[in-house]
This record gives sequence, structure tokens and C-alpha cells, in this order.
Amino acid sequence: MQSKAHFTLNPLIAMRNAGLRLPTRKLLSKERRWMGQDFHFIFRKQNWLVMKLTAILLLSACLQVSATGFSQNVTLSEKSVSLQKVFKQIHKQTGYQFFYEDEMLNKAGRINITVKDAPLEKVLAICFKDLPLSYSIVNNAITVTPRKVAIVLQQQLPAINNIHGTVKDQNNNPLTGVSVIVKGTKKGTSTGADGSFNIDANVGDVLEFTMIGYKSKIVTVGQSSNITIEMDLEVTVGNEVVVVGYGTQKKTDLTGAISTISTKEFADQPVTRVDQVLQGRVAGVQVTNASGAPGADVRIRIRGANSVLGNNDPLYVVDGFVGADFSTINPDDIEAIQILKDASSTSIYGSRGANGVVIITTKKGKRGGFKITYDGQVSSSQVIKRYDLLSAYDFATIVNQRSVDLNTAPVYTQAQVDFFKTNPGTNWQDLVFRKSMGQQHNLSVSGGSEKTTYLLSANYLDQDGVINNTGFKKYSIRSNINSNPTDKLSIHLNIEGSRREGHNIGLIAGSGNPVTQAISWAPTTPARDSSGNVTLSDPVGSAVGGNPLALMYDQTSDANTNQANIIGGINYKLPIDGLAIDLQYGMNYANAQGAYYGGSIVTRGNPAASRNSTEQTTVQSTSSLTYNRTFHADHSINAVIVFETQKYIQNYFSSSSSNLFFPSLGYYNLALANSFAVGSGYTESAILSYLGRVNYAYKDKFLLTAAVRRDGASKFAPGNQYSTFPSVGVGYNLSKEDFVQKLNIFSNLKVRASWGITGSQAINPYATLSTYATGTPAAFNSAGVIYGIQLGNPGNLNLKWETTKQSDVGLEMGFLENRITLEADYFVKNTSNLLLNQALPAYVGGGTETKNVGSVQNKGYEFTLGTNLVKGKNFNWSSNFNFSFVKNRVKSLGGIAPRIPAGTGVGAGMSITNEFMIQPGYSLGSYWGLKYLGTWKPKEATEAATYNQKPGDSHYQDINGDGAINTSDFQIIGTGIPTSTLGWNNTFSYKALTLNVFVQGVFGIDKLNYTKAVGEAGAGDARQITFSEIKNRYIPGVNETSNIPAFSSTDVIYTQSSRFIENGSYLRVKNVSLAYNLPLPKKSKINIKVFVSATNLLTFTKYTGLDPESSNIGSSTDTAQGIDYGAYPNSRTYTFGINLSY
Amino acid sequence: MKKIQILFFAIGIIVLSGCKKYLNEEVQGSLLGSGALSSQQGLEAALTGTYAGLENTWGTGFIHATAVGATMGGDDITTHKASNKADFRQFDQFDVTSTNQRTQALYSGCYKTIQGANNIIANYRATVGDATIISNIAGEAYFLRGFSYYWLVRLYGKIPLMTNPDFADSLLTIHSSQPADVYSLIESDLNTAATLLPNTKRDPGRPNKGTALAYLADVYLTEGGWPMNDPTKYALAAATAKEVINDSTLYGFHLVPTYTELWANNPATNGTPETVFQLSTFLGVGSTTNANYGASAMPGEEGGWDDFFSELNFYKNFPLGPRKDATFDTLFTLGNGATLPYQQSQTQHPYYKKYYQYNRSSNWNSSTPECLMRFAYVLTIYAEAEARATGTPDALAYQCINAIRQRAGEAPLSGLSGPDFAAAVVQEKAWEFAAERYRWFDLVRLEMVEQANANKDPNDLQPIGTITKADYTFPLPYSETSVNPNL
Repeated sequence: MQSKAHFTLNPLIAMRNAGLRLPTRKLLSKERRWMGQDFHFIFRKQNWLVMKLTAILLLSACLQVSATGFSQNVTLSEKSVSLQKVFKQIHKQTGYQFFYEDEMLNKAGRINITVKDAPLEKVLAICFKDLPLSYSIVNNAITVTPRKVAIVLQQQLPAINNIHGTVKDQNNNPLTGVSVIVKGTKKGTSTGADGSFNIDANVGDVLEFTMIGYKSKIVTVGQSSNITIEMDLEVTVGNEVVVVGYGTQKKTDLTGAISTISTKEFADQPVTRVDQVLQGRVAGVQVTNASGAPGADVRIRIRGANSVLGNNDPLYVVDGFVGADFSTINPDDIEAIQILKDASSTSIYGSRGANGVVIITTKKGKRGGFKITYDGQVSSSQVIKRYDLLSAYDFATIVNQRSVDLNTAPVYTQAQVDFFKTNPGTNWQDLVFRKSMGQQHNLSVSGGSEKTTYLLSANYLDQDGVINNTGFKKYSIRSNINSNPTDKLSIHLNIEGSRREGHNIGLIAGSGNPVTQAISWAPTTPARDSSGNVTLSDPVGSAVGGNPLALMYDQTSDANTNQANIIGGINYKLPIDGLAIDLQYGMNYANAQGAYYGGSIVTRGNPAASRNSTEQTTVQSTSSLTYNRTFHADHSINAVIVFETQKYIQNYFSSSSSNLFFPSLGYYNLALANSFAVGSGYTESAILSYLGRVNYAYKDKFLLTAAVRRDGASKFAPGNQYSTFPSVGVGYNLSKEDFVQKLNIFSNLKVRASWGITGSQAINPYATLSTYATGTPAAFNSAGVIYGIQLGNPGNLNLKWETTKQSDVGLEMGFLENRITLEADYFVKNTSNLLLNQALPAYVGGGTETKNVGSVQNKGYEFTLGTNLVKGKNFNWSSNFNFSFVKNRVKSLGGIAPRIPAGTGVGAGMSITNEFMIQPGYSLGSYWGLKYLGTWKPKEATEAATYNQKPGDSHYQDINGDGAINTSDFQIIGTGIPTSTLGWNNTFSYKALTLNVFVQGVFGIDKLNYTKAVGEAGAGDARQITFSEIKNRYIPGVNETSNIPAFSSTDVIYTQSSRFIENGSYLRVKNVSLAYNLPLPKKSKINIKVFVSATNLLTFTKYTGLDPESSNIGSSTDTAQGIDYGAYPNSRTYTFGINLSY
Repeated sequence: MKKIQILFFAIGIIVLSGCKKYLNEEVQGSLLGSGALSSQQGLEAALTGTYAGLENTWGTGFIHATAVGATMGGDDITTHKASNKADFRQFDQFDVTSTNQRTQALYSGCYKTIQGANNIIANYRATVGDATIISNIAGEAYFLRGFSYYWLVRLYGKIPLMTNPDFADSLLTIHSSQPADVYSLIESDLNTAATLLPNTKRDPGRPNKGTALAYLADVYLTEGGWPMNDPTKYALAAATAKEVINDSTLYGFHLVPTYTELWANNPATNGTPETVFQLSTFLGVGSTTNANYGASAMPGEEGGWDDFFSELNFYKNFPLGPRKDATFDTLFTLGNGATLPYQQSQTQHPYYKKYYQYNRSSNWNSSTPECLMRFAYVLTIYAEAEARATGTPDALAYQCINAIRQRAGEAPLSGLSGPDFAAAVVQEKAWEFAAERYRWFDLVRLEMVEQANANKDPNDLQPIGTITKADYTFPLPYSETSVNPNL
């Protein structure tokens, strides 16, 4: 019978491949009680898959027994009809007689049935599907009886001894639905709601207890007829199913380096965004909160930075949508996160896989029941530390001393200096920093019927920044719906929408920022004048920069983004075993509205306002064919071929007005102004891809993955559009070998190796074309401007993909039943055809030309150690440690230049040339400047004089020995890319208390501390020195050992020197949280948990700035990270939270 | 089952049929290629972009203190001894490095303008539209190219000579051209401009024919001295300047009656009739606002930035009169309303009132036009060039210089020998055009830099090391030599 194989084999394979235990035999074995109860129990445990498969198997078994070949057909169309009525109809149409008890049918309820000219056996099958009834046909009589498993297995061994007992979990809670079988026999049962069971067995028989998610347990029957069993949760990751992109795979069958973060790891921590989940939790992933502003940019790197020009952000795939915006995801909606690191995993994403891939799967509703959860948090934040600034009196004294030393007139009269003995002056930091509050609320409801599940969740976040008048709000809502209208068809629809509101976040950068100005403005300058107006300019300190108060309150920069992501798809099992077709369509829409208003003070009497609107639409279609089958029990094959297209369209317009007539209208009425500027633009790009992958496993022992993707991209000129990205990975599960098992050391031992090619979309659309720069204004009278055009960057038709070849070898070990696991990887990533923007000299019009030149290498190793150190009845300590090291080296620049400068624009007015240099043999992000050798000392006076210097002046290394200090003495003086990171996550639990201590560290990075150059050397806007450290300067005859230069007219200060390069390594107690599970009656079904948490509690670093983690450069660049020029610091945050679930 | 098969089939057809054109780049809203200049409007837009190189606040060009800073080697201006003025000090102390951001700003701006002008010059003949306006546009482009190269050749000496707008990688290895080649192009451009430009400026911020000729006269005058040292150019300078003087009514140029009204700096008047060439500015758009007038020129006591001010001896030797009063500010007003003589100020120097804003506003930005040449200057070109060319100043030469002296409240000159007259004109220029970016170039072409810097007031910045001819020009910016070491 065709349908037999169809019903029985396919689900078995599906289950096997899904990594589930195969309970079929146990469930089919003899059972005294009515099987329906078992359904019920299993159902309650939400093992819906098992239940469903069991139903199918039983049904097919029924059919096997009962089918005898009917020829008469039936036509019916009834909704919510009683069985009695259906039987009457069938009787009318076929003449067959039914025998049953009314009560039995009443219990069964009503059914829906629509059949047309269908054979009787099929009609009966539909009728009895999902009903606790069975039937038999003798001649033309149909007898309906309660379904009994005895149909399958008739024989029964004589009961020798009746064993009864209870099965419980580690927490002493009864376990329902545990299979209990007598080994070597077909006798079996399962536990009831109270965890109890009854089974007949002989003394000496072995009972095996199994349940999904728990370690199976074996007990030999002794004299006692009463047994209590405790089952442990399965800690092995062996059966874990991992999302690998365009499919899933068993963790044990992986050949690539893929890390998983489960929601448990950040359960009781005040997480508001995905990056906080990633930070420190996975070896090989570096997360830097470049800005401490709420809702601000974060830099995430997987195995280092490959690209100079392109974005080194990993690719985010959310529920199959490629290139999603991770910042819109509510962490509470996350089911699992997978991080694909090596090429055999990432090459399935081809031209976008070079930076690693983060796959996020969102939660789905569970069958049966209805669950509500609420999480609420309130938090309080403040800066980790403050700058040590001179008091007003010290400042005035030192300014005057400096004036004398530099042969200028004293700034303050003695009376003014004396005045500050009693008057503290202005504490600018007090005016800038504050203690800020935040709150977050999550509410979700989920559930489902047998065929359809749903999840709805909403999130609200409101965080104020530690700098006054900055803040961030986020609203999001998600709806995930899954349905299986038939056994073969499943459909899903995920809709997510969010609104993000950033207030004044973007203002905090560079010299015109309240933090930089707070250390530039003199403490002797009052913040407000006698009539309460903000002081407009500082006669002593900051030269250009506005009053910090004005910078915070006299301007508004709002960035509001509305975003929606919609993904829908269908999956259909084709009538060939293991073959299914999957279609998914996705759309992401983001509308970003920016608005700025600068008041009269910051604009010096020319109030201005602007608005801009950017609309981004991404449309994706993914069609795939999957094939999953196991042959002869040992050979399992999992294959997929995919056709995918993605189009991205961006449209923007902007408008700005200045000389506003009514400044009080802010940015809301741009028309009432003297002058206007408008702009608009459009960008579009598309990717077309074909890909395929085969996973093959032999006895789960020898593993092979081979994949290839071919991507075409519109960004390149025809001829260079397509590229192919192949990969291969192999694995050997040694722990499945007898000789390893005999050693009795390893619970898991696997070696794997992979190689592959990925690419990077490093260029912007239209980079191959020479376009005009538009919107260049010029004035021809004093009344306004005209906008013109200028030749833009020359296009390069020869541009092609940047490609990264990556090799990886990995070792996975597990000891003591995986209480200790160790995973180690070594990798080498070589990026060639590196796309670089070569700066063009000004004489050809300046700008840059994009070229494929050179290569960069990242190589390194990663370790992850997972331990369950203490495992007691009440006390548990589990600890996960990861460490990774990446060495980044520029290998070649293709001979176009010995080195290529990379600037930032951050230090405009500070640095005399680009702060970074890309040079073979060094890492990307190498600092370029003079080596500072300290101050000239008295015994070096003669040598100093040859440089027109004297003792106490800055002494720089003259590397070419030409007797002059200039750009020819510049050299690489540090590295702005970290080499290693570590994360250490500890969870201690004692009864209902859980303590989490999470430590994170970054090492091997230097920072260029421009803030120090401002405060300690009076660079940039600062005309005077405000840092207390200046008291320790070189003073001739008094303090001649100091390396802080003396006040001297011959001294030359280079901000781009190793004097301001500092070790930026740090180790940080990122989070400590204590959670308490309220002891509620077990039957209440409500779970309440409260927690308190401290973020950034302790930081160990030599860095002298406010925060080693923050910098001025956004996540888009790696060559220039590590500059701190008044960067928005990360804060220390205390959070209280409550978590309710029902 | 059937329904689903139909569904898949339909989707398959749609997907496959859409593939072919899927990767075509849709360029919308972007301008590509020389076709952009085929219309008169396109050509005009390209011309506007060409001006932008010379007037980009803080970025490039002349509407911030950059050009004033670059001429600090003259004896008329200096800067703050401490504070954050290192780049300015390099000019005053003859220690200019290749990374000086001020020369970079001038250099890049001039070349951006040259690139734009090259594009117009290469394409305007094919432009469709009003022939007169097209030729005016082309005239402005030639003028701007000549003007830009004139600044570049005087600042740097040997420079790369670009006359083609198209980029090619081979341009990254070219060598610099000799000043003679550059001057030859400048003469040619300004001559061509003079034939294409109208007699009346299209806008206050544009050149007319008179402007082109006035600059041509100045170019000839410069070629008479260092480094070209071609005395035959003096006669050309005199003749060209005379042409401008004779047709001054036609071009709308004349001296305004008082020196004070020249520096009222009221943006509403769009400059004065004395202006031969100015870059207009506009406060309302960030990159076109003038940052050279106001805070940049003012003392810290008045909220200024102390970027540039007078050298002490220059002020002391400056002849008394209404011109001196209009040129300098010596009494500063403090925040509390009290006044402070410059001697007691932080920098102890007089400041250039010329560069204060209308009504002494201490703002850093304004719509004040940036005047780059005055008709008075054309008069001095004639006076000096005629004297040097013929050896005897003629009546017109005396007339020219005395008109200026008279307005300044000085006695007229008479009965001088050729060399003495020329020297007197050069000195008069120093006073008349103090801080107007001319003194440095006069000192260079007449090889007077060393002499002018020999006896500085001890309270002024002193030269570092000995001044040599190498200090007459600046090193090419590092951005250039680091990419193309052949320069």
C-alpha cells in the first residue's frame, strides 16, 4: 500500500534528522490504559511533534489491520457534525451497517468532513483521525470500539512482579510522560500526571526510563516493588538542533565553527539589545560599545576585520531575512542565536558572508495552553568616572604662570585669582553629566491549537543618557504565526514593527560636543551671566566651541526611525520521500526621519533647522528545495538548493532653513526663514543568488558538508557581476568509535576542518560610475546661494568582489558526561582583492578612487570552556569561559603605494595629517605619528638646542636624523584594533536564588586619547589646560623628571604622538545580577522572579580616559577605531527587574 | 494538491522571467559624464561648482583666515604666540611644513576650481543655449583657472599643471611644471577670459572683462620680479593696467571717497564700487559663510579668536591719518563694558579693524563679501610698473599713487626717480593694503623678505633659522607628495 511507507517512514526520518529521540517503539508497545491518556500527557509536556507522529503511526497501523479493499465510494460535506449522522449517511450510500455505543460516540465529539467520491476506507480514516476510536470491518458490518494498542501487539508475557514507582526531576517535581520499558522485551508504559507508573517485570530485569530532554536512566529490578527515580536534564548539546542558514543541522553533525547563545545565558540580565547578548559570550566575537549613548552605535566583529573600505559588520539573518537590522530586535523575542564563524558555515551567504553571520531565530508559540509573560525593569545610570580637573583657583594660577612662561601678559589680576580662593567657579562636568533613569517593559502572549501557534509580543524601552538632554525610546511589536493546514503544508508569517526615537544622541561627537567643551571651558568662566543668560563665549578657555549648556539645550537633534519587517512563507512536502519545497518572501521597510534645530546661541544669532527623510526598502525572495533522507540507517543526507533575490532601494530628501524668523517653532516650520536648501537622492542595488549545500553523515561519525553559492551584484559592471563562493567542511566524531568509548574519558570528541571562500560587498552602489557631486553651493551676492555641481570621484569599471579565503580546524571535547566541554578553533582568513579607496591628490580634484588592491590576513584561535563546576542538591555553579586571539595584518597593498593613509575627520583641528596608516606588516588601524620620548632633560640641553628646543620641551624621535621634527619622522606608534577578548560567565544558584557574574575583557588595543590632548596640552579648541595632571609638569629647577612638557614658547606639541597613545586594554565586570524565584504554591502556575543587577560595575584598565570602551568612530570603520575625543562614555547602571509568567 | 502545484508553477515563471534585468543598475537622480554640460543650465551649474572650491568655509579657499595666514611671512601680520595657532605661526616663522592645514586648504581649493574650469573649458563649445551667456560662462571659467594658478604658482613655485578634466591613473605619476609654463597658461587664460567676459559683472561675486585685465596686469608685474625676473613684463603690466584705468567707467570701477567706508563691511551693499574682484558669501548656508571677518580677526577680550593681527613695528611705522584709524583697532571693549588698550591685552598687539564685521559684531560668520582686489590696487600696478618699465614715472603714475595717498590723508608724491618712485609705491601698497594678502607677494617678487623680517619687534614671533630663497615658496602639501613622489 502506497500510503504505508508514506505514513511511517517519512516522519521517522524527519524525527531522526531533527535530532529527536525515537520513542515509537515504546509508544507502540503494550499499554494497559487507554492510549488517549498518553496523548494527553505528552500533549501537556508540549512535545507536540512526538504526539503528532504517534497519532500518524497509530492511524497507519489501524489502517494496516483494517483495510480489506472497498470498492464503494462516498460523498459527504459536513461541518461540525456528529458521528452518528455521518454513519447514517455512509450507511445510506454504501449499505454498510455500523455497530457502536452512543455514549462512546458522544464523548468523541463532532467532526468536519468533506469528501467527494472517496473510497470508504479513506472516508473512515478521515472520520477516525484524531479520535480515540477504532473500527473493524467484518463483511458489511463496521464495529466501532475504543482504540486499543493491543491491536498492534497481541501477545503478553505473564506478569511476574508488579513494579510501581515515581519519576521525578532534579528539583523533585514529578515527571509526566516518561517512557518506561523492560529492556529486551516489548513491555512498556509511561508515567502519569503524578509521575507514577506501574509495570510488570521480573527480578533482574532492567528498566529503562527515557524522556526527551532528560538523560535516560537504567535501573535493575530488585526485591523492592517500589522504585523512585530521579532523572537529570540532558546537558549534552549532542541533540541540539542548530540553525545553519537555509536549514538546520544536528549540533553533533556540524563540520563548521558555529557558536550558539541560548536565552538562558542572559536570562536575568538587563539586556535591551542584541549586542549586549553577544558581548563576551562567544569566542571570536568582539563587541564594542563605541558610544555609551543609549541606542547608539555598536561595533561587532567576528574573527577580526577583513575590509578597509567595506563594512566589517557581520551579516544578520533574522528568521531567514538576510541583512536584517539587529538593533530592531527585542531580545525578549529571541529563541536562539547562532554565530557562524568559519567559511564552511558562512559561505552559504556568499558575497555577504566574509564577516561572519549572526542568525537570530525568534520565538514561536507552543501548541496547547496559553502563556503570558511580563518583564519589567527600571534602571539608574551614571558615568563610571570623571576627569580630574583643576579647581578655578588652581586654573587661574596656572594660566597666569603659563602666560609668564610664554612671555604674554597674565590673564588674571591677583584680585581675580584671590577671588577664586573662596569661589569654586564653574564645575562644567556637573552641568554635563547626570544620573539618568531608564525603564523597559516586555509583554508577550503565546499559545496555539494543534494546527496553529501564535506569539505576540510588545516592548517599550525608555532610556535617558548620562549626558543631559539625551535619550532614547523604542517601541516594538511582533507577531509570529505558524500553521500546518495539512500534514504536508506549513505556513508562517512573522511581522515585526518598531519605532526608535533618538534624542540628541548624534550630537555627541568631535570637538563641538559638551564633553570636550566641558574640559575646554575655563572653570573661571561662569556658565550664565548675571541675568541668567547662557554665557556665549569663553574669554580664556575654549576658543570656538559653544557653552556646554548651549550645546546640550540650545540644539535638538531627533532621529526617529519607523521600521517594519514582514516575512512569510510556505513549506510543502513533495510526494518524494524527504523532499520539500520552501518559499519565503520578506520585506523590510525603514523610514528614518532626522530633524535638527540649532538655536540662536549655538548658531551665533543665525537659528537654523533642517529635516531629512530616508526611506529604505528591501525585498527578498527565497525559493528552496530541501532533501532529507537516511539510507540503510547509516547514511544520512541533507541537501538544499536555493534561488534567492534581494533588492534594496533607498530614497531620501532633505530640507534646511536658516535665519529662522520664529526660532521658537524649532524644526517644525521650515518655511518661515530667510534661506533654504533642499536635496534628494536615490540608490538601488540588487543581488541574485543560486546556492546549494549537501550535508552527509555516515553513522553520525564521518561528516561532510559541501556548499557553493553564486552571487551576482548590480554594484559591479557587467562582466564582474558574478562570483562563486565554494566551501567544504569535514568532521570526525571520534567519540562514536569503540576505541574512544573504551577509554572512558570522553563523552564527546570531535575534530573538524573546513575551507571556503566568502566575499564582501565593500562598495556602494554606483562606485563603478563617475558621477557628479551635486548640491555644491556658491554665493554670488549676499542674499543667497546657487547650487552647482562638481566632478565627483572617478568611477572604476574594473571593480570586483573582495574575497576572503578561510581555513579552520576545530576540536570539540566533552568530559564527565559533558559536565566539562572544551571547544578550540584555529583559523586563517586571507582577504584578497582588497577594495581600497585610494586618496587622490588634490591636483586631480581630490577625493578617492576605489580599487581592488592588496590583501589582509586575520589569523587566530578561540577557546570555549564550559563547566558545571559544582552540582549539588541546592547549590550549583556553572561557568563558561571563552578567549579568543586574532592577529590582523595587512599583507600587501598591491604595490600602489608603500602605505595608504586613513583619516577620520574626528580630530579636525587637532591632527595635522591622517591619524592612521595602512601599511603592510601592520594591523589595520595602526596609529601614525611621532614617537614621544618624554621631555628633554637638562643633560640633553645641547642636543635639544639643535632642534631649537630646551630642557622641558617635548622630545620626539628624529628617525631620519635630519635635525628636524616633521612628517618624515612619523611612524606607526600603536594599534587601534584589539588582539584578544575574553568572556567569563558564571551562574551560581542556591535554591531559588541565582547569581550571575559576567566578566568581559579586551586586550591588545591602543587608544589615541585626544581628550587628554585637549585637557593636558590645550590642543584643539582649548586654549588653556584644565587637567589637574598639569601640576606635575616639568618645571625648570623644580621638577625636571616629569614627562609633561614645561610651559615654553619653544615647545611644540604634536597631538599625533605616542604621548597621547595609551593602552586601552581592560577587564570589566560587565554585569552582576541576583535573581530570586518567588516560592509560590506549585499549583498556582504563576512564576514570579525578581532581580537586581549592576552593569559595568568594575573596570580594570590603565587607560586614563573616562571609558576605555567608547570611541568616536562609528561601527562602520575599523581602520580608525580607538580615538577618544570626548566620546560618549558607557555608564554604570543599576537595574531592578521583575519577571512574571503564567 | 493541484492548487499548490499551480501556485509553485506560477511563482517559478515569475521568478525566472524577472532575472535577466535584475542586476541592471538603475541610476536615478545622479549625473553622469560630460553630457551634464550639454545644456546652458548644466554649464551654469558646473560653473557654480567651480566657484565652490574658492569659497568653502573651513574647507577650502579664501573665505576664512587661511589665505591671510599663508601670507603671514609679510611684515604686516602675525598671530598668537601660544594658543592653538601652530599652523599660522609656521608662516610667520618661515618654518612651513608639508602638513600645514592652511596651505592644504588653499591648494585643494584652487585645484578643485581648476578641475571645474577645465571641465567647462573642455565642453562649453558643445553646449546648446544663449551664445552670449555661454561665452560669459566660459570667460569666467578661464578667469577662475588663471586666478587659481596665479595663487598656486606664487605659493608653491613648481606645481602640477592640469588642463584636462578627465582622470587617468597616469596622472598620479606626473612631474611638476616649471613656473614659466604655469605663467604662460595664466597669461593665456586671462587674455581669453578678457575676450569672453562682459563689461558688466553678471553678479557682484563674478569677474568682468576689467577684472580679467586687472589680474593680467598683476601677473605681468609679478613676472617682472622673482622668480621669473623678466623686466620686459613691466611694460605689459603698465599697458594692461592702463587699459583697465581708461575703461574703468565701463567696468564700474572707481575709488570710494573715504577709506572708512571701504571697510563698513555691510553685507547688504554687496561690496563697494572699488571692488575689482570679490567672492560673495552667504551666512545662511554653512559652507558659504564668511569666517574671515569677525571673531577670527578680533581679540580674545572681545570674544575673538586672535587668529591674525598687526605686527608691532608695522603698526608703529604706519603713517597717521584716517587710513590708520580705519585699519586698526587699538582699544578693546571687555565684557563688562570697560575698555582696554592693546598694550595691556593678552597678545599686546593692535588688531585689524578692517576685518571686523558690520557694527563690530563678534560673530565668527557673516555674509560680508571677501574682497580680493580693489581698483586702488590696479592704480598701484600701473604706477609701479610704469616707473619700472620706463625708468621715469609719468603723470598718470603720479596721479594713481596720489589719489590713494590723498584719501589716506597723506601728502602727494612728486619729483622722484624711477626706482625711488617704485619703492615708494611698494611701501604705499603695504599701508593701503595691510593684511589684504599682498604684502607677502610684494616682498617675495622684490626679494625683500629677509630685509623686511630683519628687525622685528622683540615681542613679535621671530623667524626660526635663517630665511633663504627656499622659504619664498611652501612645500607641496603632504597629501600630494605622499601619493605622487615625482612632484
